[in-house]
Amino acid sequence: MPNKAAEKTKSKERIWDKFLTERDKAVFAAAGYGAQADWGKRPALLIIDVNYAFTGEKSLPILESVKKWRNSCGSEGWDAIPVLQKLISTCRSKGIPIIYTTGTRRPDAWNAGSWAWKNSRNDEDLTAKIEDTAYAGLDGNIIVKEIEPGPRDLVIRKEKPSGFFGSPLQSYLQNLGCDSVIVTGTTTSGCVRATVIDSFSLNFRTTIVEDGCFDRSQASHAINLCDMNAKYANVMSSEEVLQHLSTLSQGMYDLPSGKGIKQGEVWY
Amino acid sequence: MARIEDFEDHCWADVIDADTISVYSNYRRETRVGEKPALLVIDLYRLVYEGGPRPPVETTPRHYNTCGHFAYDAIEPTKKLLAAARRAKLPIFYCTQETRPQNRPSGVGSTRIHRKIDPAMHEIYHEFKPHPEDVIITKQRASIFQGTPLVSHLNYLGIKSLIVCGESTSGCVRASCVDAYSIGFHVALVEECTYDRSALIHKVNLFDLHHKYVDVIKVDEVVDHLDATAERRRVAAE
Repeated sequence: MPNKAAEKTKSKERIWDKFLTERDKAVFAAAGYGAQADWGKRPALLIIDVNYAFTGEKSLPILESVKKWRNSCGSEGWDAIPVLQKLISTCRSKGIPIIYTTGTRRPDAWNAGSWAWKNSRNDEDLTAKIEDTAYAGLDGNIIVKEIEPGPRDLVIRKEKPSGFFGSPLQSYLQNLGCDSVIVTGTTTSGCVRATVIDSFSLNFRTTIVEDGCFDRSQASHAINLCDMNAKYANVMSSEEVLQHLSTLSQGMYDLPSGKGIKQGEVWY
Repeated sequence: MARIEDFEDHCWADVIDADTISVYSNYRRETRVGEKPALLVIDLYRLVYEGGPRPPVETTPRHYNTCGHFAYDAIEPTKKLLAAARRAKLPIFYCTQETRPQNRPSGVGSTRIHRKIDPAMHEIYHEFKPHPEDVIITKQRASIFQGTPLVSHLNYLGIKSLIVCGESTSGCVRASCVDAYSIGFHVALVEECTYDRSALIHKVNLFDLHHKYVDVIKVDEVVDHLDATAERRRVAAE
């Protein structure tokens, strides 16, 4: 269903435009990709892997941050935090489900499995060696404090890129009666893309929040958004997504009660 | 909706003892057909009807996968169920074995019995001939969900619950019901339209499924529910 926000997205310059050749642009236009799909009626907000392993303990330039946290996306991750805060607060006020994912790993990392095949630093302890005592012993799989899960949110622990793979995500969405997902988080080219493609394959309407996603590679971020917008999802700005969320009714879902969960504790 | 007092009023009453019924009393609840259902028709292919309506002990030596008279007893109720589903405009999904040549390594199948797959024997039985608008899912294992796009189809149609019938209760029906439950669908399993090659196995499996995962419901109740839905839709359209 075309709306004003969609039209706005269509006409403005996109983040990937500067990476594309003129032929690429002509091909996309001629082949009919990138059409604006419907939003769906009952979304859930997905926040993929916004944990300290991917942001570092604080906002630092990526080449600095990556020394301690091999998966860090540096300051770009922290730039997305205010965007995520706005989306989270809107979804909480509307009673829209918020589902986080983060990793899980045995202390001996046996279950890293295939991850170890492609990264030479995989055997580093997940708890980075941080000199700053305020962050000492910080577990990389803890979700960043500034956007921490609330008692009524859902958190999926996963081992592989897609939030759906080997996890109960699909059954949570089914139980909540969701027909669509709004995807944020990191990395755009890795876990976000894998989750988006599974969501698409399951026939959930899929929206990606452009400024709510980040990657350690600028080119990968842009081109992956381009690919997903062309084939699988609507890539929208947070402004457009927030505007859309504001049109949804309050209290459509039977969310967890949150009973027994203390705000501020890592309960997941 | 069936009352909580009627929870154990099903075909297993003569094989499950009173102590067991008592142990399982925590599971008692009202049962119902769920919202926005689709019908799954599990493995009603020709092979199961081979050998005629005789006791499976007589038909099995020649026809390894037959369910004998149990299959035939279910024909009329299943036709009734299918007709009601069509009146209520439910999406209908059949499943059968995949029969394309060279579709799997040896040793892969719905059960541990491995025989050469005859495509003709895996056509849907003529009494339940699929209509052009129905979907036939082909599968290699027990569950209709395993390695198939069924969930995508159900999401695409906005389906929220399932009505299930077919065979065998202990095999593909049970596997499909447990997967449906795990994925988050409410399941109404239709008692008279489900069967196995042994009455005891059928009853115990229905008992298990009913208590833990699905609502086993009698065919008349499901048909009444579907007809009421169709009638409401007709009135609303006027």
